[in-house]
Amino acid sequence: MITVDNLTKRFGAKTAVDHLGFEVRPGVVTGFLGPNGSGKSTTMRCMLGLDRPETGSTLFDGTPYHRLARPLHEVGALLDAGYVHPGRSGRNHLRWLAASNGIGRARVDEVLEMVGLASVAGARLRSYSLGMRQRLGLAGVLLGDPRTVILDEPANGLDPEGIRWIRDVLAHLAGQGRTVLVSSHQLSEIALIATDLVVIGQGRLIEQSTVADFVERFGERWVRVKGPALAALAAGVQQQGGEVQQIDATTWHVHGVECSTVGEIAAASAVVLHELSPQTGSLEDAFLKATAATQEYRSAELGAPQ
Amino acid sequence: MINLLRSEWIKLHTVTMNWVLGIIAVGFPLLVTLLTANFGGDDIDFRTESLVEVLTGTTLVCALLCGVIAAASITSEFGFGTIRPTFAASPKRMRVLLAKGVVAMATVVVLAAAVQLIGWFAGSAIAEGRGADIDLADVPTAVPAMVGAVVLVALMALAGYGLGLMMRSTPVAVSILIVWPLIGEGLIGALLGQIADSDSIPRWMPFQAGFRLAFVGLQDDGPSRVVAGCYFGVVALVLAAIGAWATNRRDA
Repeated sequence: MITVDNLTKRFGAKTAVDHLGFEVRPGVVTGFLGPNGSGKSTTMRCMLGLDRPETGSTLFDGTPYHRLARPLHEVGALLDAGYVHPGRSGRNHLRWLAASNGIGRARVDEVLEMVGLASVAGARLRSYSLGMRQRLGLAGVLLGDPRTVILDEPANGLDPEGIRWIRDVLAHLAGQGRTVLVSSHQLSEIALIATDLVVIGQGRLIEQSTVADFVERFGERWVRVKGPALAALAAGVQQQGGEVQQIDATTWHVHGVECSTVGEIAAASAVVLHELSPQTGSLEDAFLKATAATQEYRSAELGAPQ
Repeated sequence: MINLLRSEWIKLHTVTMNWVLGIIAVGFPLLVTLLTANFGGDDIDFRTESLVEVLTGTTLVCALLCGVIAAASITSEFGFGTIRPTFAASPKRMRVLLAKGVVAMATVVVLAAAVQLIGWFAGSAIAEGRGADIDLADVPTAVPAMVGAVVLVALMALAGYGLGLMMRSTPVAVSILIVWPLIGEGLIGALLGQIADSDSIPRWMPFQAGFRLAFVGLQDDGPSRVVAGCYFGVVALVLAAIGAWATNRRDA
């Protein structure tokens, strides 16, 4: 269990993290989401004591990070796969990390095998691709077999096989009852692996909930209706305060009315339906809606092609 | 603490640049000393003092390079970002910084001691082989100068480490470490000496005082070897302490 309480971090006049508090429960993967510049990485650094927060604290199973005797056995963190000396080999990078917590060389070889880097363990890190460095970073996380795992954008630079692999690893770790917190911009990935979400914007908590509840709350919902002649349905839907959107000749999307109500209107109007199904928007849609007010960097509208 | 020392030793010896600097730091004084022992001066006139002077004098280069090794041991951590996994793996920062400093200083002491021992024994053997009369008893300040040279290397490493902690940048820390003792102190010392109308002021500039640890003859009115060593030691210790204090307080 991770407990973040009232965390505040300022860089000069800018408040990067603003009285942030949330909890991460064990046994599930928790996605940590926020727009660029929302304070995710700063929060993670503060949680690990790397950045000194102005206020607040973080507890890992009730213990502050700096009080952990052998932190790698309690918390495995990958903040940036680029935090390596390019002149060192992958094995030597893990060796110094392991030695700092009294972990033996055998475990280094074991985790190198686990992440698929055993064959290049002796190569200098300057020759590693970003994906290989991500794998090395994850090997560092696994070194101490920790109860808590914190990863910042772990899928960056990974190929499709690597992305699937990291998804399986995270699910496996959570399945073993560990606490797993993962930040990512790849919302489709988070939707696949996360059960819980912590969403922040401008350093403040926007929402903490399950993914399902988050999408339910912020995502768009509508009813898809298919049938050979739907025209008679429109008046009934509008009477109930809903709106219809014609997708094609046989498909409508009905907004603002429950699925059951649409079915009752169809029955009352003797309209033949081939499909009547409730639809929910994606995590991406819900995220964009939830964080719309806190987007720090916005793209300009693209003009029509000439 | 043993774990941290082991971890820092792995970091230090697994970077090629440190090996290159270490080999130059050992090789340069040895090469110059042994060549001088073989070719320097008239065979009869080449004496113990000549051998020790060239050995301890060229150790100043060793000291500067060892300072660079110590400075880079911490600045490279900031430069490549490895300071973050380091402090994440060992959140008690002062212990990490202490371990890193101890490893750097212990390593350079071994290098400097090797230079003095190999330089003396090989150099005297070569010089005696061509007829020179070499005997440590001839020069009472020879052993103190050679021991002082080892201490100087250790203190230069400590000063370099402190500068590295404060600057967090290899080019800046190394520039200060090289330019300040070789040029900066000379200029400022001379200027202050002119103002105060005193010849001894330049000898009290911190690094110049430190260099006196390795001088064979100290007949001027500057600080004695012990006083100079203590003075430079305090300066180096203060640099390292300020750097460690700042690193402990600042974001990693």
